[in-house]
Amino acid sequence: MPSTLTLAPAPPSEAAEAVRLEVREFLAAELAAGSFTTHVDTWLSGVDPDFSRKLGERGWLGMTWPKEYGGHERTAMERYAVTEELLAAGAPVAAHWIADRQSGPNLLRYGTEAQRKDILPRIAAGECFFVIGMSEPDSGSDLASIRTRAVRNADGDWVVNGAKVWTSNAHHSHYAITLVRTAPLDTAHRHAGMSQLLVDLSTPGITINPIRILDGGHHFNEVVFDDVVIPGDMLLGEEGAGWHQVTAELAFERSGPERFLSTFPLVAEFARRASSPAELATLGRLSARLLALRQLSLRIAAALDRGELPDIPAALVKDVGTTFEADVVEAIREVVDVPASLDSPDPLGRALAEAQLHAPGYTLRGGTNEILRGIVARGLGLR
Amino acid sequence: MSDQDLVVSTVREILAGHEPTQLTPDRRWDAELWADLAEAGLTGVGLPEEAGGSGGELADAVAVVATLAAGAGAVPVAEQLLVAAPAVLAAGLELPPVDQPLSVSVAGAVRVEDGRLTGTATDVAWAGVVHWLAVVAAGPDGDVLALVDVSGLEATHAANLAGEPRGSYVLDGVPAQVGPLPADLRARYALARAVQLSAAAETVLAWTVQYAGERVQFGRPLAKFQGIQMQLAQMAGEVTAVTALVDAAVQRLDRGEPVELAAAAAKVRAGAAVDVVARQAHQVHGAIGFTQEHRLHHLTKRMWSWRDEAGNELTWARVLGAAVAGEDPWPVLTGLV
Ligand SMILES: Cc1cc2nc3c(=O)[nH]c(=O)nc-3n(C[C@H](O)[C@H](O)[C@H](O)COP(=O)(O)OP(=O)(O)OC[C@H]3O[C@@H](n4cnc5c(N)ncnc54)[C@H](O)[C@@H]3O)c2cc1C
Repeated sequence: MPSTLTLAPAPPSEAAEAVRLEVREFLAAELAAGSFTTHVDTWLSGVDPDFSRKLGERGWLGMTWPKEYGGHERTAMERYAVTEELLAAGAPVAAHWIADRQSGPNLLRYGTEAQRKDILPRIAAGECFFVIGMSEPDSGSDLASIRTRAVRNADGDWVVNGAKVWTSNAHHSHYAITLVRTAPLDTAHRHAGMSQLLVDLSTPGITINPIRILDGGHHFNEVVFDDVVIPGDMLLGEEGAGWHQVTAELAFERSGPERFLSTFPLVAEFARRASSPAELATLGRLSARLLALRQLSLRIAAALDRGELPDIPAALVKDVGTTFEADVVEAIREVVDVPASLDSPDPLGRALAEAQLHAPGYTLRGGTNEILRGIVARGLGLR
Repeated sequence: MSDQDLVVSTVREILAGHEPTQLTPDRRWDAELWADLAEAGLTGVGLPEEAGGSGGELADAVAVVATLAAGAGAVPVAEQLLVAAPAVLAAGLELPPVDQPLSVSVAGAVRVEDGRLTGTATDVAWAGVVHWLAVVAAGPDGDVLALVDVSGLEATHAANLAGEPRGSYVLDGVPAQVGPLPADLRARYALARAVQLSAAAETVLAWTVQYAGERVQFGRPLAKFQGIQMQLAQMAGEVTAVTALVDAAVQRLDRGEPVELAAAAAKVRAGAAVDVVARQAHQVHGAIGFTQEHRLHHLTKRMWSWRDEAGNELTWARVLGAAVAGEDPWPVLTGLV
């Protein structure tokens, strides 16, 4: 196999197993106390700032970051264990998810000292939430075609005009790392002239309009910028380097356990009643797929600990993982006759409904599977 | 170079002198390849020297098996190194000389009484070719492992899709050494096939990528068409998932931890990848890949058979599913590989 796709095995980590048990204990206590109920795809829809704050108090946010920025200097393997436990339990992690997973690391890499000192400790405390401001009405997979633009005014501040869309949880969040054009499009160099801005979502001129997803939930938004003035020192990284920064950010986004565990609460519900040979076989097949994905994702976490940026394997894991998440629904339906309904008296019926209504999103968000396969094809040397 | 790299390059050098051929009832294995491997000590890798093996780690034995699988080597090395010989040693029996091929039988109905075997051992990998057979047999107090010399016995001629012998032996009071049955025998057999599947799938992907880069249609290499890229990327996803899980299961075996469920998962996952990998490899290769003239069939036919052998996906999925089913499946899953 080409070296771009191979990953060294993840060495077993005692520290990760120790924190895993702590998280399990915490979750069991929270569940017993009724502080949350299990749902499917909670990293999109389970917004609970109190829960996020509790995780922050326990040191489970910003885990890998330097202590001077509120982090805990733990390994990616330990963070992996924490995040996968939270997802498997269907815990409400959406409020902080983006900030902890990608905005914080992005700030660490490209932020100014002032930006880091100001923002990172608040993210790690579970008090400051971020959203991704990339997609636009006319720019999805072809992200380089964005039109939201920022122009410097006489004071050196940025004046932003345009619109972002599908902005998950903008209505609950504090900042959007927003990809904007800071130089007009040069068709010969489409990836030049973009920059990332740290946009405080309470800035005047920003309108956040809800967009409902299939189950009626409000997670998506349209975020409209009308002459929004962003202080000049809120540029993230380098002017004109937005494309490069966004690509690195997406690589981080792609490989985590949320790319195959979004529907795990449904698998767990199914496991609670699986008893016929057909049900056990289905559970076994799903388990084998899940375990393989988990090994891949663990290997990527270990590669991050070694300081590598395995962007191509990350794209591959996301392709295979999100396909699995959606396949879970069909596989279980083949062996049980429980109608999917959000109002079902049967928890399996409710889990099926949640998983089905969220399913189209798994293979779209964070770069569609077609785009990901293009990246894998590049890794295979085909393009 | 690590020990394993050295082992792999030695096996590759030997394989280079033995092009895979279509197996037939007249040519049921590659005896010359076996002889070369035995002479180089490679048929005893991972087995202790004091028992007559060549020493080395489990990882070395796995590397030998994987390299031979990738090269479609028609020899009973996977059975000997990863399944039968470790079982014989675990049962406290005397390991036969490692240059005499040893296989394993976990199917059929064989009874043991007073050190003699009666019944039929079925689905025997390399039946009619091997010298020794480790047989699961029913004793008065439950199943045991019996080691029997089959060099003088006739085997029925049955073969898998690739022509590898999979016949039966009728045992008619044949004397055998008998010892306790190692609990993980079936799981090890499944894991051995998973190792072979993983190596074969990786090679089929590499061949297909290479072919797509060479074959020109509409003025461009096939690899430049997005439809082909999607197929190859999907194959790569399957192959990468399989190799990661199979590796993890092997490492678990190496650490001496219980391996049954990890092997079950590895066999299920590897078996499940065969359809995508073999089907799309053939699709990309076009008609030439549908012939015995092209090398592709040596591996795709093996993959179609290996997924069925030592327990197919259904069998092992039930085992795995039964372990995972229950109130709290997650800790079971995270503790399994
Ligand atoms: C649940 C969810 C949450 C999201 N959250 C956010 C967020 O917080 N912030 C944000 O900025 N965005 C977010 N997105 C948007 C997401 O990034 C886009 O949906 C994605 O990039 C695809 O863009 P699109 O939806 O415009 O589809 P399009 O790009 O229009 O694609 C439509 C279809 O065409 C295919 N296609 C497009 N180009 C090609 C090509 N070259 N070759 C082959 N096929 C192609 C695609 O694969 C897809 O199947 C979210 C999306 C979802 C579903």
